[in-house]
Amino acid sequence: MSLIATDGLTKRYPGGVTALDGLTVEIEPGIVGLVGSNGAGKSTLLKILLGLLDSTSGSATVFDKDVRTHGIEIRELVGYMPEHDCLPPDMSATDVVSHLALISGLPRTAARERTAEVLRHVGLYEERYRAIGGYSTGMKQRVKLAQALVHDPRLLLLDEPTNGLDPAGRDEMLELIRRTGHEFGIAVIVASHLLGEIERVCDHLVAIEGGRLLRSAPLGSFTERTGTLAVEVEDGRDALAARLVARGLRVAIDGSAVLVDLVDEAPFDIVRDLVVELDVPLVRMEQRRHRLEDLFRDAPAGVPVVVNPADAPEEVAP
Amino acid sequence: MTAPPVTRSGNIYDLGYRRYEGPRLGRAHAIRSLVSHSFRTTFGIGRSGRAKIAPVTFGAMALLPAVLIVGVLAIVARLGIDDDIGEIGLVGFSSYFGAISAIIALFCAAQAPELFGRDQRHGVLPLYFARALRRSDYALARLAGFCLALLVLLLLPMTILFLGRVLLSTDVAVGFTRNLPSLPPVLAQALTIAGLLGGMSMAISAYTPRRAYATAGIIALFVLPGIVSSIIIELGSGTIGNLLVLLSPSSVIDGTNGLFFGLDPESGLFFFDLPHWTFLVSAVALVVVFVILIVRRFARIAT
Repeated sequence: MSLIATDGLTKRYPGGVTALDGLTVEIEPGIVGLVGSNGAGKSTLLKILLGLLDSTSGSATVFDKDVRTHGIEIRELVGYMPEHDCLPPDMSATDVVSHLALISGLPRTAARERTAEVLRHVGLYEERYRAIGGYSTGMKQRVKLAQALVHDPRLLLLDEPTNGLDPAGRDEMLELIRRTGHEFGIAVIVASHLLGEIERVCDHLVAIEGGRLLRSAPLGSFTERTGTLAVEVEDGRDALAARLVARGLRVAIDGSAVLVDLVDEAPFDIVRDLVVELDVPLVRMEQRRHRLEDLFRDAPAGVPVVVNPADAPEEVAP
Repeated sequence: MTAPPVTRSGNIYDLGYRRYEGPRLGRAHAIRSLVSHSFRTTFGIGRSGRAKIAPVTFGAMALLPAVLIVGVLAIVARLGIDDDIGEIGLVGFSSYFGAISAIIALFCAAQAPELFGRDQRHGVLPLYFARALRRSDYALARLAGFCLALLVLLLLPMTILFLGRVLLSTDVAVGFTRNLPSLPPVLAQALTIAGLLGGMSMAISAYTPRRAYATAGIIALFVLPGIVSSIIIELGSGTIGNLLVLLSPSSVIDGTNGLFFGLDPESGLFFFDLPHWTFLVSAVALVVVFVILIVRRFARIAT
C-alpha cells in the first residue's frame, strides 16, 4: 500500500516534447519534495495524478486507485495548488474558497465554516473580504493553499508554492506546509526547482530530470553528501581551517570563508569553540544552499576537498 | 544549537487546523452548486457593483415594456374604455419575445463571457477540474446556470404581463381563463429562446477567453445570418436563403414563435416561406450542436 505509485509513466505532448519518460516511483505518506529543474516533468506528473492530463503510456495510482478510472474518487480527497495564477481578481478570498468548498462536496454551512477556519490557518484575516485583485503575491499564494485545504484532503499536491514570494514570504509558506504536513497528518507533495528550500520541510525527496527518476530517498541521504557550512572570518582564516582539519573535519577554502563539510551537527559546536579559542573575527556563518546539480552526482564527489592550508593553494569549493 | 522553548503560550487567534469529519456530498452536489453559482454570476449577484451594471441594465430593459404595457392597461381599465383588453394589439404575448429579443441577445453578449471567458482568462479551470467532477459536468453546469438565468429573464416580464392582464380585467376569473391558454406557448417559446441563445452565446464564449471577441461574436451570430439570408432570398435564391434562415438563431426564434402562438405564416411578419415546424427542428438541432461544441471544448482544453 503506497500513497502514489507510477509504473513506466510516459507523457508525450503533441509536437514531440516528452515530459515524462518511463517514470517509475513509489511515494509513501509524509512531506515529499518533488525536485527537478524547470521542464523536468514535475507539473506534468502532478497533473496526471489529478487526471488533469492523460498519460501516453504507463500507469499511475493514488490511494491504490487508478488515476484514469477513479479520477473523481481520488480528487475528492486531494487538494491541488496550481503553479500559476488561478484566482478571479474580482472575488474575495472568502467567496472563492467557499465556492470551491461547495464544488468539493461540502454542505453549505460546512463550506462557510471550513472557509473561515482554513483562511485563518493560512494567515488571512480581515483582508479575506476584499477582492483578490488587490492582494500581494504572498496573499494570493495563501488563498491558493487555502482552497486546496478547504475540503480537508488526505493528500495535498503543491506546484511551486513559493513562486514569486520574497524570502520572508517563502519562510512563512514553508512553515505553513511543514505544519500542515506534520501536525495535521496530511500527505504533501511539494514540487519545486529549489532544493535548498523544500529540503527544509520535506522528509523524503524524489528527484526527476528529463522525465526520468534520478533518485528517491529519505532527505537525510541527500544532505549527508551535500551539506556545507560556510564560516566567513575577517582574518585568521587559515589558522581556523587548520584547526578544523585537525579536529577531523573536511574543509575547503572559498574566498574569505572556510567551508566545512556537514556530516552531522557536530561541526557547529566545533566551529563555535574554535572561533572563541582563536578569537577570530567572525563575520557570518551560513549553511550553503544545496544546488540541484549535487543530486545528479552518484559518487560523493560533491563534498569539499580536504586541503592543508599550509601548503595548498586556495581551492574553489564546489 | 539552542533548543527552542518547550512550551509556548499559543496565539489566541490561532485555533489551528481542524479535520473535517462531516459529509461529503459528491458530484451531484458539486454540479448543483456550480449551476446556482453560474445563475447568480449571470445576474451579477455576489459580485462587485461594476459587474452588476450590464445585467441590471439589460434586465430592466427587458422588463420595461411589460411594466409600461401594464401601466397602459391600468389607465385603460380605469377609464373603462374597453372591458375586453385582451384584444388590444400591443399587449399580445405573441409579440413580446420578438420585441425584446435584441435586448436578450445583448444580455447574452454581455454576460456569457462572464462565465466561460472569466474562468479561462484567470486560469480558474484547474481548480474546478482538480475537484470531484468531470469536465463535462463543469461545462454543462455552467451552461445550465446561464440558460436558467435567461429563462427567468424571459418569464419575468411575461409574468408581469399575465398578472396585469388578469388582475386588470373587469372580471378577474374571466380574465384568468381567457389568458390561461397563452401560458403553454409562452413557456415553450421562453424555453426555446433560453436554449438557443444561451447555447449559442455560451458556445462562442467557450472558445475564447477574450471578452471582446466573445461579445462581438455573439452579436454577429445573432444579427448577421438573418441579414445574409434575407439578402440571398431577395436575390432570388430561395433554397440557400431558406437554409440560412434555418441556421440563423434570430430567424429560428421568430419561426418557433409563430409555431407556438399559431400565427399565420402569411401574416406578413415572415419574409420566408417555410413551414413553422422546420424552425422547431432547427432549434433543437442547433441546441444539440452548441452543447456538443461546449462539451468538446472543455474536454480538450489544456489546463
